[in-house]
Amino acid sequence: MAAASQMLVNEQAMRRNHMVRQLGKVGLWLNPIFAYFFLWAPIVVLVLFSFNSSRSVASFTGFTLKWYNNILNNVMGAERAFSTEIMLNAFRNSLFVGTVATLIATVLGTLIALAMARGRFPGKGLIDGLLFLPVVIPEITQAISLAIFFKVAFDWIAVISGERIFPGFHTIIMAHVTFNISFVAIVVRARLADMDPQLEEAAKDLGANPWQAYWRVTFPLILPGVISGALLAFTLSLDDFVITFFTSGVGTSTLPVFVYGLLKLTVTPEVNAISTIMMVLSTLLIGISLALQGRNASRS
Amino acid sequence: MSTYDVELIDIVKDFDSGSGKLRAVDEVSVQIADGEFFALLGPSGCGKTTTLRLIAGFEQPSAGRVLIRGIAMEGIPAYHRPVNTVFQDYALFPHLTVEQNIMFGLQMEGTKAKEARKRAAEALEMVRLSGVGKRKPRQLSGGQQQRVALARALVKKPAVLLLAEPLGAPHLKLRKNMQVELKALQRDVGITFIYVTHDQEEAITMADRIAVMNDGKMLQIGAPEEIYEQPATRFVADFIGETNFIDGVLIERGLDGKAKVRLTDETVITAQASKALTSESGLVTVAIRPERIGLSTSPSSADALVEGVDASEITMLDAQVIDNQYIGTDTRYTLRAGDAIELVARRQNIDGRDGGAFHIGHSVKAFWRNISATVLDS
Repeated sequence: MAAASQMLVNEQAMRRNHMVRQLGKVGLWLNPIFAYFFLWAPIVVLVLFSFNSSRSVASFTGFTLKWYNNILNNVMGAERAFSTEIMLNAFRNSLFVGTVATLIATVLGTLIALAMARGRFPGKGLIDGLLFLPVVIPEITQAISLAIFFKVAFDWIAVISGERIFPGFHTIIMAHVTFNISFVAIVVRARLADMDPQLEEAAKDLGANPWQAYWRVTFPLILPGVISGALLAFTLSLDDFVITFFTSGVGTSTLPVFVYGLLKLTVTPEVNAISTIMMVLSTLLIGISLALQGRNASRS
Repeated sequence: MSTYDVELIDIVKDFDSGSGKLRAVDEVSVQIADGEFFALLGPSGCGKTTTLRLIAGFEQPSAGRVLIRGIAMEGIPAYHRPVNTVFQDYALFPHLTVEQNIMFGLQMEGTKAKEARKRAAEALEMVRLSGVGKRKPRQLSGGQQQRVALARALVKKPAVLLLAEPLGAPHLKLRKNMQVELKALQRDVGITFIYVTHDQEEAITMADRIAVMNDGKMLQIGAPEEIYEQPATRFVADFIGETNFIDGVLIERGLDGKAKVRLTDETVITAQASKALTSESGLVTVAIRPERIGLSTSPSSADALVEGVDASEITMLDAQVIDNQYIGTDTRYTLRAGDAIELVARRQNIDGRDGGAFHIGHSVKAFWRNISATVLDS
């Protein structure tokens, strides 16, 4: 009898556990749906209204490619104040800044990642911590600090050499390099952490000097990480507004800064269209970057 | 000019640990002859791998010298030393094909591509792996990767081949086969092999000489038989094979190497003193291998037990069987003699299962020849 009632209790407990587990499963399933809804809903609205035939964002009245067309036909923004010429120029600026900043940041970031992964030197822990700083500090803080830094530095240069340097591409590029280094270093370092350090020893064991070991073994193995870091840096550079806004000079507006200029007057459907194009481009680059990292992971 | 391939002279290696220095290798000196198969044997953390890395040039000694073919290796980086390594996890380059892996070392020497390709093919043939040259390492089985690692190291015709516990195959039969093959390969190529392992059986099967290491020290260097039959310390006796230890006090040590030991129950037994016995404290232990212990239920005298051996040359203890385990080739008996002594004896199951003879609880005589037992420092 006692055994039978014990079994009954066990069965009830099991059924209860089963229910809790089922509830958990439903919760787990709902969680990403809500998370992604909040994450993506505004973007979906933006993309949707870039195809809205009405100028108003109150209702979707029909599908059109008008706004995309406007971008290319010199009729942008309130009072048609912005020409395609200006926008294309801003886009060219973005590409130029992005390319140069990415190249510099990729080389420096990769070197830092190598030093962090393989080197032993005093203060390594501190530098390691500082490396993450640009990733975690608010962008506005970094933007203001950079703006002040350039001001102070250029004042000093003016005092010493008598020549005043004005902000321009060089300041934007320097600013972009500062935050991009961290991202490149983090991505490359993750790749290096996955790599068996014995491989470099094996190369040296087989007669390769450190230079040969690097180019013949280490570099080919971390290359996907380097490319993926570079694509990430390029995307961040292309998308950056706050830091660029605080460090740019006259005539060096990038695309995000140009879009902000459009918005200052009013939200126009052209802004939605440009934003959609930028988003597609960024997603594409990040997608390639992630795919390369994924290929890495499955390879090792 | 030295006649040795590798000489280690008073090598010390300290590592910085959080709280201070950690001595990984402690005054190790050893001479390894040309063409020798030398095993560094010890538990993990004993310093065997560090010793290997010091020879390879991946670590620099804190003190002492490494000589390879009589040349001091101080300041010579790994990539200029005439040694090659087979790494524990093989460390094959994943982005290169098997052939490119093997050619890597030759290209670093400046060998022409055509010549390198030919030698790579020969090396693959030597490890019986022709035809996989175009594949990537990850497409090969663990055993095949092992062979590629061997070929990649041997193709450089090094003075010394270092092997860092490479026979990690999980399959016992496969590992045994590889042991036999590796030994045959070493005989063929005639290159000095220094083999690091924690597996005593592996070391005994393959090596010409074994160095047993613990706590950074080389406790004993000798041929496998010597290490097994005449262990220098209690650690060596315990680490190599199974050993019974009977603690006691040394009361007499003869010039002939015989020693008398008083056991805790006041019995006095005679055994062979180890050459390394210092007996500073007087406390010693008598080591006796389980397979050297004979068992008998007949109450007859000792001289009837071992033919042609005088009774004074035999030690006999009264014991009780407290356990017997059938393990296929042998039966393993656990015996208790007196209050404090527990012994393990192994009898071969030559005529079927021997276990029938001695049941749990039976009183038996456990006996062995005095020369089979070794007196060691406790």
